[in-house]
Amino acid sequence: MIALFVTFFSAVVLLFLGLNKKESNYSIFAAISLFVSAGLSWACSANLISFGLLESWVPANMMSFGKEQHLFSALLAFIVGLIILMFRKNEFVGNDQLGLMMFSLCGAYMMVSYQHLVMLFLGIEVLSIPLFVLAGASKTNLASNEASLKYFLMGAFSTGIFLLGTAFIYGGTGSLELEMMGIKPSFMHAMQGMPLPVLINAGIVLMSVGLLFKVAAAPFHFWAPDVYEGSPNRTTLFMATVVKIAAFVAFYRFLNTFAGIADAWKGWISILGAMTILWGNLAALNQSSVKRTLAFSSIAHAGYLVMFLLMADGTNTWILWFYGLAYALASVLVFSIANQLSVSTGKNDFSAFNGLAKRSPFVGVALVIGVLSMAGIPVSAGFNAKFYLFSFAWQHMPWLVGLGLLGSAISVGYYFKFFKHAFMQESEDASPVLDRGLLLLLSALILLLGAMPWAVLNGIF
Amino acid sequence: MSILNIFNQVEISHYIYLSTVLFAIGLFGVLFRRNAIILLMCIELMLNAVNLLFTAFSSYMGDADGQIFVFFIMVVAAAEAAVGLAILVLVYRNTRKTDVSFLDQLKG
Repeated sequence: MIALFVTFFSAVVLLFLGLNKKESNYSIFAAISLFVSAGLSWACSANLISFGLLESWVPANMMSFGKEQHLFSALLAFIVGLIILMFRKNEFVGNDQLGLMMFSLCGAYMMVSYQHLVMLFLGIEVLSIPLFVLAGASKTNLASNEASLKYFLMGAFSTGIFLLGTAFIYGGTGSLELEMMGIKPSFMHAMQGMPLPVLINAGIVLMSVGLLFKVAAAPFHFWAPDVYEGSPNRTTLFMATVVKIAAFVAFYRFLNTFAGIADAWKGWISILGAMTILWGNLAALNQSSVKRTLAFSSIAHAGYLVMFLLMADGTNTWILWFYGLAYALASVLVFSIANQLSVSTGKNDFSAFNGLAKRSPFVGVALVIGVLSMAGIPVSAGFNAKFYLFSFAWQHMPWLVGLGLLGSAISVGYYFKFFKHAFMQESEDASPVLDRGLLLLLSALILLLGAMPWAVLNGIF
Repeated sequence: MSILNIFNQVEISHYIYLSTVLFAIGLFGVLFRRNAIILLMCIELMLNAVNLLFTAFSSYMGDADGQIFVFFIMVVAAAEAAVGLAILVLVYRNTRKTDVSFLDQLKG
């Protein structure tokens, strides 16, 4: 709750600071307020401080603020802070856009802490509506326009499907509260021979489809590569990390409510997960654009995370948290390098990376660390995240874990393209201008989480 | 006989069928029409079908939650339509078209 409060009011302050100024850029202020939100949230999760009065304003059946919710809020605020710091010198960074990004983050907070489907719906919309605008931030660029319109149409369409599911669940279970919703179907399931009402089944399917659109899982991912490619890089990164993590947490909490009738949804969701893993990885293999490759890689990562949904028993949320952190750190690192390279060379395909290791060895090493973490090679955060995820999922669905390992093996094929161009090709282009302090911080964090994850996880959970 | 009784004589299943049909009309409209304005109207139709269903359930169960939800859906739909039309104006300025067939610039 405190994160929501701090982020919202700093976004309002940012908008006022930018009033009547055409070129205003208070990125540092935005980043600091986000890190403060993250810090306060973390302190709340560790019971160092508490904001009971503030939290008592929100009815307990609307939003809940437990340890888990505080930790996910802290994670999301931290990621957005990093994104804003990394892209602070980029074009299209005005106070209005920083404000929109922070309002969107408020929606993500709501999605991780909802207890009532009204709050989930509002969270999704508060998250999405600023993003429709941010996707079209580059106003005269036709690709950005297209991304914006496509994202808007897909977002509104998936909201409609999601809402129909909500209405069916309301009719079937008689409640919109997360805690009450699951009771009736679980009870009916426990009584042998009582089939689930069509309304509840259809409701679960439709709501899941709405959420699968948001996480870009196959076959509801078709919008993602286009939108990711056309949007400004900062927005793409926001969509690939924050939106995905928040939607997965929301999805997980929703499915966890129906853990009593897991047979009704486990089968088809695991098939969609398998499809997502294969589709994402195979399609990424023959892309020439860097952003499209990263978009398909983020689809593949969504596929791995579907495994997490299938072992929803309410105790393993730290796996999702850790995977989200590892994936976001690597994404921020790789995306920001790719962004700078495409700005300095004017190319959008892999040839922008040509000769990077020779031009600027430091950035080359950071790229290696980021890409290895995305691919899940040992001594990187990504490896540990995948290791925990796969080893816990093994007991539940070994075949899906096998597919996940196959997918990871395929993914090395396209991650290797980065190395091929950075180390084996020559180029005359100028070296990119990047913030070395931040690159060092991100690389160090990835290696730290790779070398001794327990030092971090024990401190937090 | 009051008007409320007439409503209650219609079975809930009829409301479910009606809403589902309305929703399906909106859904197919989104899938098959090419004009962005029509797409927006079809999305509104989908949301209004949901509103109708929520109200019907709410009335049959004697629970106010569903009707409150409808207000939220209306507010959000209005905000969404505002942003959507703004995006459409942006696109129109650059392409002089409201047809979504220009949406094929980005290809892998």
